[in-house]
Amino acid sequence: MNEKDQKAYLEQYKKDKEKGVPFYPDILFKDAVVSLLVFLGLVALAYFIGAPLEERANPSDTSYTPKPEWYFLFLFQLLKYFPGELEVVAVVLIPTVAILLLFLLPFLDRSPRRHFLDRPWITALVIGSVAGILFLSVQSVRETPPPSEAGQGDPVAALYTENCAACHGGTISIPEGTNLHDVIAQGTHEGMPAWSGDLTSDEIDALAGFILSPGGNALFQEFCSACHVSSELVASDPIELKAALDEGRDYPPHAESQIPKWDEVITPQKRTALLNFLVAPDGQRLFATNCAQCHGRSVSYSGGEEELRDLISQGGLHLEMPPWRETLDAHQLDVLAQYISDPASAEGGDVLFGQFCSSCHGDRIPKIENVDQAREKIASGGAHETMPVWGDVLTSEQLDALVSYTLEAAQGAPLEVGQELFAQNCAICHGDFGEGGTNPARPDDVIAPISSAEYLKTRDDDTLFQIISQGQPNFGMSPFGSAFGGPLDDDQVKTLVAFIRSWEANPPVELPPAVDTRAVKLSADEIYAQLCTQCHGYDGLGLIGPSLRDPDFRANNTAQDIFETITQGHEATPMIRWGDLLSEDTILDLTDYILSLEISAASAQPQPTPGFSSFAEDVLPIFEAKCVPCHGSMGGWDAASYDAVMTTGDNAPTVIPNDVRNSILAQKITGEQTYGNIMPPAGKMTNAEIQLILDWIAAGAPDN
Amino acid sequence: MNEKRTIDRRGFLGFMTWAIGGIISAGFGIPAIAYIIGPAARKEEEQNWIRLGSVSKVELGTPTLFKTEIERQTGWITNKEELSFYVFTENGRDFVALSNICTHLGCRVRWIADQGQFFCPCHNAAFAKNGEVISGPPPRPLDQYPVKEEDGQLFVLGGG
Amino acid sequence: MITRVTNWLDERIGWRNVWEAIFLRKIPKVNWFYTLGSATLFTAINQAVTGILLTIYYAPTPDHAYDSVQYITTQIPMGWLIRGLHHWGASAMVVLTVLHMLRVILLGAYKYPREVTWFSGVFLLLVVVGFGFTGYLLPWDQKAYWGSTVGTRIAGSAPLIGDWILRVMRGGAELSAVTLARFFGVHVWVLPASLILLLAIHMYLVIKIGISATPGREEKA
Repeated sequence: MNEKDQKAYLEQYKKDKEKGVPFYPDILFKDAVVSLLVFLGLVALAYFIGAPLEERANPSDTSYTPKPEWYFLFLFQLLKYFPGELEVVAVVLIPTVAILLLFLLPFLDRSPRRHFLDRPWITALVIGSVAGILFLSVQSVRETPPPSEAGQGDPVAALYTENCAACHGGTISIPEGTNLHDVIAQGTHEGMPAWSGDLTSDEIDALAGFILSPGGNALFQEFCSACHVSSELVASDPIELKAALDEGRDYPPHAESQIPKWDEVITPQKRTALLNFLVAPDGQRLFATNCAQCHGRSVSYSGGEEELRDLISQGGLHLEMPPWRETLDAHQLDVLAQYISDPASAEGGDVLFGQFCSSCHGDRIPKIENVDQAREKIASGGAHETMPVWGDVLTSEQLDALVSYTLEAAQGAPLEVGQELFAQNCAICHGDFGEGGTNPARPDDVIAPISSAEYLKTRDDDTLFQIISQGQPNFGMSPFGSAFGGPLDDDQVKTLVAFIRSWEANPPVELPPAVDTRAVKLSADEIYAQLCTQCHGYDGLGLIGPSLRDPDFRANNTAQDIFETITQGHEATPMIRWGDLLSEDTILDLTDYILSLEISAASAQPQPTPGFSSFAEDVLPIFEAKCVPCHGSMGGWDAASYDAVMTTGDNAPTVIPNDVRNSILAQKITGEQTYGNIMPPAGKMTNAEIQLILDWIAAGAPDN
Repeated sequence: MNEKRTIDRRGFLGFMTWAIGGIISAGFGIPAIAYIIGPAARKEEEQNWIRLGSVSKVELGTPTLFKTEIERQTGWITNKEELSFYVFTENGRDFVALSNICTHLGCRVRWIADQGQFFCPCHNAAFAKNGEVISGPPPRPLDQYPVKEEDGQLFVLGGG
Repeated sequence: MITRVTNWLDERIGWRNVWEAIFLRKIPKVNWFYTLGSATLFTAINQAVTGILLTIYYAPTPDHAYDSVQYITTQIPMGWLIRGLHHWGASAMVVLTVLHMLRVILLGAYKYPREVTWFSGVFLLLVVVGFGFTGYLLPWDQKAYWGSTVGTRIAGSAPLIGDWILRVMRGGAELSAVTLARFFGVHVWVLPASLILLLAIHMYLVIKIGISATPGREEKA
């Protein structure tokens, strides 16, 4: 269009305008009428059809056929004609060119002609495009199958949809080494709730399996769901699962069923996926369900990763089984053998098994051909495989998870360390679960629960940190932080805080314990046991506080000195001003009690302390119950008899008479020894039991 | 004449334009008002008789804790709320239901049987069996709820 | 009385000039196809009004989006109407925008002196498409979730920067709460702001230059 044309147009337009009509009301009326029609049309659509709302978004329902809004359908359809590499054409090229063409239209079509019949090219192009878009849209509608109902019957997928999908979408990528079961059960601080409140442990296992191996879940639906519900099989014994998959109908429980040979029907990769779904590669769960019954809850291991992997995957083990014929009578042997070859048939077998075998074998009944072999094996004992060859059983993902968890746990996963710190430092006043109790420092006072939701909600981590490290001297709580003279460094206090915080998701207590709040008169030794032991030791030989039985200490401190020290405390140490809390009489009693402790080096004639009277009657039964299951047959220290207790062990002697502090036994059971875990591994003994053993050592470890 | 007719037509069109504008505005406005005030105009949920449990659970003379859950619907969110009541009776016929929420700062009180009083662990408040404040900071007695007995079951009027 | 008020106002804000300039201006006689533009404008107003009303109850989080939409549709008086108008208004807006554009193309209305009006119109088309795309996800039902999953994946299949585009659109690798929040933000803030700005330019130019006259056939020489 040249200047002349432009001028001509403007003049023509001016004339048209003069001949024209005012915008209001002539034109505006037309606009109003059309708008009203549009409005009525929309109201009619809203009334008769309404705005559709399908099922809630279900990211795990991969069977849903996605469909974009209708005006994008032509683009969607276009993609089908440009598969693979050519996709770029449909996704980028065509839309970009179309939009560019639209923009450049005034420059491409520069003729002064305006009527569509005068511009055949443009008109043809527009009609062509519109027809193309209509065609593609219609094709797309015709080719899209109606939404199917598949995927409805999968309970795990439904569980996922219901609980996880809203935040996590269709899949979740899990960093290696995550204890997924734990994460789901306890939630995270990033706003994920603790699902243990709403889901059963089995459901959480199924979810973990689904998240880590969604393909496995699909396979489960395909092959197993006709007979099994997923939650009944998840986290069950991997040996059984593996056997069931490998042996097909030869697997005894499957003998009756009409199933194919799984190893022919399902490829090894798929079997792995299936196993990963059923037993999620989640180290902590694997450990808890498969290892803990023999190895205890906390594991100690000091070797390297490769070594550990070999140890687990080769299994077998190193254990000498005692010749049971020395212990059991013929009838017992028969019952046990019968029980082992066929657990269903032997009455009373489970009791015997629980009594004699389960501390090494756990719940897992060893496989053996027939009754005779079983009896022979049990009777003669000897080298004996108790640990399964995990390398044949676990998938490599599961093995990896187990190895990395075990290594981590051996170094002390923070929560477990926190739990132990709590048991050692806090539980004596706050109870094992932070439920509180009588305040030993203020007998008319109750220590309120520190594990209730209310308590935890109203204290942030900083506050807890300060309370622990600075103590609360006016309530009788000594400072625990090393900065204030206490036994714990900052990291340990933080670990404790994290442990206490871990209750918040599922507070173990709601109400304070039912305690008689009227004045309770505690005897001096009770007060000593609750208030003083954490620094001065059970035996008064001192921990972070000085030994109260040291000859020098006793020589330099009169009764008056001790009384005053207790009353006034020491500035900036956990020795707080007990005089503010305890009555004068109590402190006097306490002083007398301390003076009654005998002076250690000068103790020529050890006298049995109260509570302990006989090794055979008091101490040995504890050993038998708590130690002998492992320390009887596995080598190392043997706790089965007095002589063995005193002489065996890699670091013998384990017990040094009269010297509680340097006896390894005492160090291990009180948890003072930090090389390796507290013993027994399944959990600390009760204070009374520990005290009894310590007293026995302090009394010179007599054999009476 | 011709001129006049045009003006009349224009006037009519103008009037019609405004009329249509009015219709459309009303079409938006009236539903919009209903839409906005809808939840406000909804009747408040009434208090309900909440079933606590069997009368036989209440020991004579000792407040007994009953826990119950009610559902509360606000907008599209349904909340489960746990309610706890202490119910006690001296004669097995007349029951008193007390809230277990301390009137001071909302901690849970618990019945200490030995002392015959309710105890709040947060600030050591004590309430008598009838909910009166014995000691501590609470500003008023424990809340009481109407309670009734039907077919051996206890009901408390609450919620809402 | 009314005259006095209007006069008083005119003295101060000069509305009569504006009224005369916009509504009493003369324009060429045109046919009914020329109402498509104002009809599109009407749907835009419809979307704005109903959209604002919807935000009163809608909550853009995966936990609540679906429930709140259901609440609007079933519990709130007239909620079905507001949502229905918004839902169908969206389709109507796309249809009318395209029809309006076809009219402009076929009657050569984008030509001198209205090129800039045309550019603003093309931008407006893109904004309308953007509205449709972002609004589709908001009800958080199956259709919304999977439609948007596929939609973002298509955008993500562009070469080189595709994956990056996908992550920007979804706010991460997955279609998640983040995606919903940002789609909502774009749908109720970014796009409306662009729409208002572009509409202002578009309307200003239409009034300033005047609506194009119906072209006649070129006389054959």
